[in-house]
Amino acid sequence: MAYVATRGGERAIEQAERLFRQDLGAIDAARVESIQKTMPYLIDRVMGEASLYSEELAALALAQTGGELSEAVLVLRAWRTTQPRIAIARPVQQDELLTQRRISAAFKDIPGGQILGPTLDYSHRVLATDVLEGKPFTPPAVDAAARPAPSRQPSLANWQRQQGLVAPVNVNAVAPEDIPDFTREPLLFPASRAHRLQSLARAETGGVLALGYSAMRGYGNAHPTVNELRLGEAEVVVRHPRGTEFSAGRVRVSQAEVTSKEKGGYLELGFAATFGWNEVKVIAAATLDLNSAEAPVGSAVHEEFYLYHTESVEASGFCIHFKLPHYVTFQSVLDAMRDAKATKAAADITPVETRQTEPAE
Amino acid sequence: MSLASLTKPWAATSYGFLDASAKRELRRKMLKAISVPGCQMPYASREVPMARGWGTGGLQVTLTLVNPNSSVKVIDQGADDGVNAASIRRFISRVSGASETWDTLAASIVQSRHRVPEEVMGEDQVLVLQVPNPEPLRGVEPNISVARQMHADADYGKLWLTLYEQIVRKGRIMQGAAYPSMVNGRHVMTPSPIPRWDVPKLNMARHLTFLSAGREKRLFAVPPFTRVEPLVFSDRPYRVEDHADLTCRRSNVSGFFMNELPIDGGGSAFEVSDSNLGIKAIRQAEGAPAEIGKTWYRNGEFSA
Amino acid sequence: MLTIAPPDLPELRANATFEALMWALARPGDSREMPEAGLAAIIDTLVDLECSVFADEPGLRAHAAATAALVTDDVGSADHVFLTSLEGAETQLERLRCGSALYPDDGATLVAMVQHGRGQRVRLSGPGVDGTVALTLAVSPAFWAMRAILCAYPEGFDMLLVDGRSVIGIPRSTQVEVL
Repeated sequence: MAYVATRGGERAIEQAERLFRQDLGAIDAARVESIQKTMPYLIDRVMGEASLYSEELAALALAQTGGELSEAVLVLRAWRTTQPRIAIARPVQQDELLTQRRISAAFKDIPGGQILGPTLDYSHRVLATDVLEGKPFTPPAVDAAARPAPSRQPSLANWQRQQGLVAPVNVNAVAPEDIPDFTREPLLFPASRAHRLQSLARAETGGVLALGYSAMRGYGNAHPTVNELRLGEAEVVVRHPRGTEFSAGRVRVSQAEVTSKEKGGYLELGFAATFGWNEVKVIAAATLDLNSAEAPVGSAVHEEFYLYHTESVEASGFCIHFKLPHYVTFQSVLDAMRDAKATKAAADITPVETRQTEPAE
Repeated sequence: MSLASLTKPWAATSYGFLDASAKRELRRKMLKAISVPGCQMPYASREVPMARGWGTGGLQVTLTLVNPNSSVKVIDQGADDGVNAASIRRFISRVSGASETWDTLAASIVQSRHRVPEEVMGEDQVLVLQVPNPEPLRGVEPNISVARQMHADADYGKLWLTLYEQIVRKGRIMQGAAYPSMVNGRHVMTPSPIPRWDVPKLNMARHLTFLSAGREKRLFAVPPFTRVEPLVFSDRPYRVEDHADLTCRRSNVSGFFMNELPIDGGGSAFEVSDSNLGIKAIRQAEGAPAEIGKTWYRNGEFSA
Repeated sequence: MLTIAPPDLPELRANATFEALMWALARPGDSREMPEAGLAAIIDTLVDLECSVFADEPGLRAHAAATAALVTDDVGSADHVFLTSLEGAETQLERLRCGSALYPDDGATLVAMVQHGRGQRVRLSGPGVDGTVALTLAVSPAFWAMRAILCAYPEGFDMLLVDGRSVIGIPRSTQVEVL
């Protein structure tokens, strides 16, 4: 038919996808394994944004999207949709984490000690061009510490609570199954704290950084001090239907607590945590959390603003949807504009700018 | 009880892609949406294998409704063969076994972006409109919580004021597509970015319409025989696009919403936007059997 | 990359049940056929972990509990209420959840066994009804009076009245006139 010939829709999309996949070449288990082994921080970032902890699936998503991050996250989130929720894990306490890195900027030393762990913080960021000249880089061996750090570290905030610096915890005993699940219910405002932290946990790293950074630069009302930053591994403890609790495995997690100033006689704390090791994200997210309380509506640190605008899949999807044809809506706008111009030419009304009332569709 | 009793045998994905709990949530919200026409119902909105903003809200509603006996039509800008329409239709049939159709009359479900078909939809048909922005107040109130309160209070003064300002400044209401409309005399909704031409098709219709925004996680509905009234002042009647006198250069039909195609050397040509209506007209002209149903517009005039 | 199995029986049953419920509410007063009689299939179609359920019969309570829904003795905290009889239920149902103008969707769904074609004659109008429609339902004038007080639109509750395999829907948007 005439219409098919002019648009050729089905065939064109098929071939366009083939072209993309052909450029990436064959994907086999070895490629997936290599990505998983060599890019742990990328895998962590993707797992965090996908809210799906599986290094293997994250590596597969990266392989099949060629590292297009928003596509990789989308493909994992969509896969997640098809999976049933069969158990609810026990909440993780800070002092139970197998801690590899834990630092505080608020004190020179802290109970349990400053544990640097693996970091590039103090390295010189020099590109290892020697590798390209045929001289492989072999990392020098790590000298074991004379006294190994304990694998579990106390919570600094707990020490601060004992000192009366931080408000006592308002323990409200919520059964794990009653913790609201952001992926199963709509986000409504004001958001519950659980929803806010869950949404930040899977927010887009760059988006959280941009908005968190705007708060740090002065568009927020609180300048963060890193109270505690922690990279560790958490046991996923679930309950068997017979009642036994057991660990189903471990996940890498990051946590940040930031503080700023006194409120009501106590230091305020902002908090964030996510799957995987991703320090920039949790510091920026904790800064947003810290700033939320007094945020003016519509500002970058207002929770409705930052939660909506750091949602990776929604933001990237809407952005790329502007590539879709919009000629019907455009035609509708043209019609009103032509008619208004014709009327104006007839009546010679002085032009006045009206503000746009139609947001992007 | 065992772990196995809590879950199900492993399958790569569920029937219709969405798992059973996602479908149940949508069903609950779809019933509430019917019960309060035009009121935006929040839902969790699962990720589907398509980017947000590309019809994921409509898709979730369709996937909840679909079964192997369904017949599904998907259009984008009125066309069945638009790239995204083709992609969505193929996905739906792949995960549900439903049959695909281009014929409005043969479809049990019509999923659409930006158009309502020109042929009148019947009482057992469901129209699923993809909605980019479900909030008609977004232009006057970007904060979603404040806007929600305005709906609760039926406080539409700001919206009326902008429409009035447009008349004062431009001599007419400048709203293009997505014309804000009062549903059942209580909730103002966006009919999704359909042209003004299509809004009357939702008023006191025989079919059921769902409007679903996956990215913004809101869905709403217009049941059959429900009032959908564009916001207009009594002395400034509602005006649809001035397309009544245009003729399609391919199919020769006229009196329907058209696509404008700029042509070399200036001027424009027109093609009917409801592409399958055009195809049917061409077939009829060629002497092939092709039933064109009753249309909402006749000779360019709306006549429900 | 994607292989989809055909729907299994529970999926088909829930899909067909929902279709009946959807059209029942979309066309108040119209009777729709469900694939099976009774309330159990409706529970399976609508209710799960996220819901709280009140039911007036032990079998239904057990059925609802098996979906992992929270089964409550308090009508006022249930989002889904399943009753095998509406007779004399007015006082209890005065506590039925009606949502708020902000969140009308918090209004409850009331599913009840009610004989169709017997009892009180009523006339319905509103969305979904072409003009008006009259029908007879075994629902007392006292119940309709209670409903009129509770349903301050858009607040209110939505009803699915089941007789065997037939279901009639009366959403909160419907005006009910007792004849």
